[in-house]
Amino acid sequence: MTENDLLVLHALRCVGWSGIARVAATTGLDEPTVESELIDLAVAGLVTRSPGVFGAWGMTDAGRVADAERITHELESAGARPAVTAEYERFLVLNPELLDLCTAWQLRPIDGVMTVNDHSDPSYDARVLGRFSALDQRAAVVCAELSAALPRLGRYRPRLYEALDRAASGELDYVADNLGSYHTVWAELHEDLLATLGIPR
Amino acid sequence: MRWIRPLSARTEESAETVGAKAHGLVALHRLGLPVPAAFVVTTEACRAFLRAGCLPDGLDEELATALGDLEAATGRRFGAARTPLAVSVRSGASVSMPGMMNTILNLGLTAEAAAGLAAETGDARFALSSRLRFLSTFAAAMTGTDLDGMPTGTSAEDEQARLATAIEAVQQLVRRRCGRAIPDDAARQVELAVETVFSSWDTPRARTYRELHDIPHDLGTAVIVQAMVFGNRDDRSGTGVAFSRDPNTGENAPFGDVLFGHQGEDVVSGRSLTRPLRELADREPAVWTALIDALRRVEGHYRDACYVEFTFQAGELWLLQVRPGRFAGGAAVRVATDLADERMITRHEALLRVSVQHLRYVRTPRLAASAKADILARGVGACPGVAVGRVATTTDAAVRMAADGPVILLRPETSPHDMRGLAAATGIVTARGGPASHAAVVARAMGKPAVVGVNGLVVDDASWAAGERTFGEGTLITIDGTSGEVALGSPRLTTGTAGAQLRRLLAWADDVSGDHSERAEIQRLSAAHAALRRA
Repeated sequence: MTENDLLVLHALRCVGWSGIARVAATTGLDEPTVESELIDLAVAGLVTRSPGVFGAWGMTDAGRVADAERITHELESAGARPAVTAEYERFLVLNPELLDLCTAWQLRPIDGVMTVNDHSDPSYDARVLGRFSALDQRAAVVCAELSAALPRLGRYRPRLYEALDRAASGELDYVADNLGSYHTVWAELHEDLLATLGIPR
Repeated sequence: MRWIRPLSARTEESAETVGAKAHGLVALHRLGLPVPAAFVVTTEACRAFLRAGCLPDGLDEELATALGDLEAATGRRFGAARTPLAVSVRSGASVSMPGMMNTILNLGLTAEAAAGLAAETGDARFALSSRLRFLSTFAAAMTGTDLDGMPTGTSAEDEQARLATAIEAVQQLVRRRCGRAIPDDAARQVELAVETVFSSWDTPRARTYRELHDIPHDLGTAVIVQAMVFGNRDDRSGTGVAFSRDPNTGENAPFGDVLFGHQGEDVVSGRSLTRPLRELADREPAVWTALIDALRRVEGHYRDACYVEFTFQAGELWLLQVRPGRFAGGAAVRVATDLADERMITRHEALLRVSVQHLRYVRTPRLAASAKADILARGVGACPGVAVGRVATTTDAAVRMAADGPVILLRPETSPHDMRGLAAATGIVTARGGPASHAAVVARAMGKPAVVGVNGLVVDDASWAAGERTFGEGTLITIDGTSGEVALGSPRLTTGTAGAQLRRLLAWADDVSGDHSERAEIQRLSAAHAALRRA
């Protein structure tokens, strides 16, 4: 296997069934490259495409096994397990705060009743985004260590940064709603760390 | 004592000094209800700690004295090999917030004390699992992470061997993560626990929460140290949570979860199979009667629907926490009008207890009783409302399918990992957990219909089964978060049962405002609020 096919295969492991665009966003590869890799992986029996209008690519059982083997090999041959484990533990401390912030972004208490945040109060949104930035600075330290331990994990930092940057400049669905949102990228990183360390959900 | 107050009916301190939880425990004492012996380290001690970075002078002696009082009250010895006293250590700020250390159970169960407990009870499994719970909750507090990743031991054939392995694994985890071991000295454990609670006031997560909710950073938290009662003691023991009235409908009937043979945190986590509170009436009638009496008395005190946490040990009931119920929507309307009818509050108070926000949620649809609905399964309604959508069995599927129409997320249980799916879904169903489980809390927070604790529901990768019938992902179902019903397809619905109470409440509102003209409900209530606040 080449470097790219592992990236594509592993993207499906982390984000589940998805289309080419999402795999491209996750891997940082362009769409034609992703599609070509997916077709090769399908020929090898490692991925499959579900039929229909909303057809998506997903892993086969063989793909799951192959991914686990290669990801473990990559981790062990780089001697990165201790470092990735330590950063995963730091990530776990940050994770509930991220979920708190997503909740605060989506809902706010009014008269004691949790109410959908309709984003009509810029000062509230700015306050939540301010806390997102504070969390992001701490997350950046974890991401940098992860990247140093295992270069493949370096792709999350720019995506997180971009999501927050776009949210701050008014694209509000980059916080928690769309597939490039901070929350989505964060969840992918979480899943990737679990997959990389072989920790079951 | 300067930093510590014993908790009794005579404790006079404010919630600012002793925290909301301890304040509730004092109220329980005053009502003559059974509360395990306890003392509280004040928020003032916390502020001194936060200023100086270490526990204030004299606190260690005060802790020793206060623990001596607990020993005297219980007839047990803290950290001793014979009749050992174990305590819980809980944070208790005047407002609760995520990110703070929550609870350490069974503290004081050193290796020696656990052996003593095993000898005393003749139940080594009980003693070991209690010690494991102590170490796991302490480890979670020290490392600031959830219990998710805590070792539970691999499923060895021998239960005691499994517990021993898990105990060793947790200790190793703490040594590795914190660079120091959990001390095997009871007095040192309690000091470290108090320090840990105080430090947790300033975790980034807690600071974030305070920033978002306008809570001052300098309040500090109190710490409650309380003699343990063991819900895992035997098959006549257990733990639970109870509302004095149904939080979904406001109906005047006790509502909650009970978990036989377990300790407190298992109920709230939703990880274990809780049973409807009613089962207590059959299995432990004396506990049930005492609990119903307690709920009646706390309602009389708070003049509101209430929430309690309780444990029973060997058939004896103990109350561990109380607070007002904080109901929403139709339930808030129903409780306010019922309490006024019961002469517990005035009609004016009833009006002030229903906010305009509550009115927005009053007209909750239900599955029509007459509908020839194909009911697949029944669980506990955890958030009222009806949701119709296609089944997704994973968070990923929910997010993917939501682009194409409403989705019902169907899971064995949920964890914070499922937030994305919960957010994407229109309705939520879980096989496990009760009304205080993660799924229920999140669903209520998001105002999404939810059904939890559906017995006989089995969720696999892309299929699910209810009773004898198996379905695939994408099946259209309807859920009723009031009744807890899960139906195939989209049967007929009906709107709102709080109608009668709402009409009466709004008639009272018109009497107060003096305006009986045709107006929107929200205007009628707002006019009454304005008139009452002027008065």
